[in-house]
Amino acid sequence: MKAAWAVYCKEIVDALRDRRTLMVVLVSSVLLGPLVLIVLSGLLAQFETQAEKRVVVVSGIDHAPSLKNYFERQTYTVRTAPKDHEDLLRRSKLSEPVLVVPEGFEDALLHGDRPVLELVSDSGNRQAEVGAGRVRRLVEGFARERGALALALRGVAAEVLEPVEVVGRDLASQQSRAAQLTAMLPFFVLMAVLYGALNAALDTTAGERERGSLEPLVMTPVPRAALVAGKWVAVASVSTLIAVLSCLSFLPAQWLLQSDTLQATFQFGWLEAGLFIVTLVPLAFALSALLMALAIRCRTFKEAQAASSVLLLTVSMLPLVTLFNQEGEAPWHLWVPALAQQTVMSRVLKGEAVPPDMMAIPLAVCVLLSVAGVMSVARSLRGAAVR
Amino acid sequence: MIVVEHLAKQFAPPRRWLRPARSPVHAVVDVSFTAPDGHILGLLGPNGAGKTTSLRMLAGLIDPDAGRLSVDGVDVVSRPRDTMARMGVLSDARGLYPRLTARENIVYYGLLQGLPRDRAEARATDLARMLDLTALLDRRTEGFSQGERMKTALARALVHDPAHIVLDEPTNGLDVMATRALREALRHLATPAGGRKCIIFSTHIMQEVERLCDSVTIVSRGRTVATGTVASLLEATHQKDFEEAFVTLAFNETRRA
Repeated sequence: MKAAWAVYCKEIVDALRDRRTLMVVLVSSVLLGPLVLIVLSGLLAQFETQAEKRVVVVSGIDHAPSLKNYFERQTYTVRTAPKDHEDLLRRSKLSEPVLVVPEGFEDALLHGDRPVLELVSDSGNRQAEVGAGRVRRLVEGFARERGALALALRGVAAEVLEPVEVVGRDLASQQSRAAQLTAMLPFFVLMAVLYGALNAALDTTAGERERGSLEPLVMTPVPRAALVAGKWVAVASVSTLIAVLSCLSFLPAQWLLQSDTLQATFQFGWLEAGLFIVTLVPLAFALSALLMALAIRCRTFKEAQAASSVLLLTVSMLPLVTLFNQEGEAPWHLWVPALAQQTVMSRVLKGEAVPPDMMAIPLAVCVLLSVAGVMSVARSLRGAAVR
Repeated sequence: MIVVEHLAKQFAPPRRWLRPARSPVHAVVDVSFTAPDGHILGLLGPNGAGKTTSLRMLAGLIDPDAGRLSVDGVDVVSRPRDTMARMGVLSDARGLYPRLTARENIVYYGLLQGLPRDRAEARATDLARMLDLTALLDRRTEGFSQGERMKTALARALVHDPAHIVLDEPTNGLDVMATRALREALRHLATPAGGRKCIIFSTHIMQEVERLCDSVTIVSRGRTVATGTVASLLEATHQKDFEEAFVTLAFNETRRA
């Protein structure tokens, strides 16, 4: 026990002194999540203002007073298009499509000559494309009104022209769109756990072999179980530390969110952070044990990195199951590490209750994996020491 | 007192897919030596003679296929933890932790050997004085030279003041002065004032053996081919030069075999 504690202290000091690696991990897994969240919230905010903006950019509005009148009745602001609007649109400098009204539009309209309106946009300019649909519907509304009026003057009911009415009802609210964004959050914390454990796990196993310090270590009279336990708990502690920092980094990040809806739906307080950490700690221990079990079989750090990339890839791909699988939560998700934590964390984010068995099953799986990993490391430690 | 009798070890070759298996490597065939307390035994042999493998078996790192190893009468195979605690082993692999200072490296092993922290610290200071390491003690081992690493590793192996010292080619990478200092230190440790340690060291350098050892065991191709003092070996081979004696003993034997 005393020996295990000595090993633990040494490994922690060793890991914390590896400043450069630690900085890279901190930047990539602790800062990246909040940064992405803030950038995306900015994007979302932009889309929101775009949707709410009641502006139509028209070139030659003076040729069409009736159209102008219709726009204004729809509470739209009419703006005159700049002269070089085509060029601006092409270079994505103008984020609104431009409606071009030809000369003599009003006369042609009065004579029933079907004047042509041009809606100029660029399919490479996403924001203008989004606006194009809106402007097209607006102009169609104008055309419909003119037609209906003309028919009404001749005593024909408007319903004749439109025997069927279609009303759209979009179930996706803005909240659910925001939820799609926050769904990435568990992914970032999972990565933090993984990358936090990675370097320490490889350094205490394959790194020791490469340095030639494992052989003297197993020649001390310390039981192998104590050696492995000390190393394992140290690796898991580093991983947990990174995970905790990553979880807490989302707390200040949410004050910087620009999108109101995201801010309203993104409930991430101390309670959520605590639940995240409780979910992640067992995973940190299990992944540390697995990484160490993989790495102890490798002669060099580099070899171990190659071997662990398979595990890294698996763990980062598993949460994607929930993206591709449209059936939603399935009971088996809870039995798969990483996927289970993702499921629990997204429940926490949505503000849904987490029943005890949802916590217990992943915990049991993690305990099993840890035991298997630690035993495997202890078994192969002596063989690995002799190169 | 370390007694090694008729030690043998063979290594299975790596298994190959769909090809006939290669024959196993006989690293150690029949090695025996005895080192009483207060005695310095040199294990002399050419490269690949089986010295390192024998010492690894003595350290409990690999299990022998046959033979008996005992430290103070305690069997290495059945009670490896007890024998490990009685020995200070400087093995072929002597990696240090580059992000720890020399002192931390030494104290860590002291703690692993079960010493209390203050005792381990004191030992680190003492050993540093003995090995002329004091100036480096609180520097990280990252930029150490070969010799400085070697000394740190040696201090680490001796931190628990073991009664038996096993060194695998300890003078590798040391300059003349450091080698002399190490020789002095080992000679001192074998005297009653130094604690009458039992010291075994392997080497392929004749002068080391001539200058330091009370007795020599010559190992060649995994077998003990001769044992005795330098003088008795010279006499037995009718040679004046120890190098000639060594070549006669180590290589005639293999030709005959």
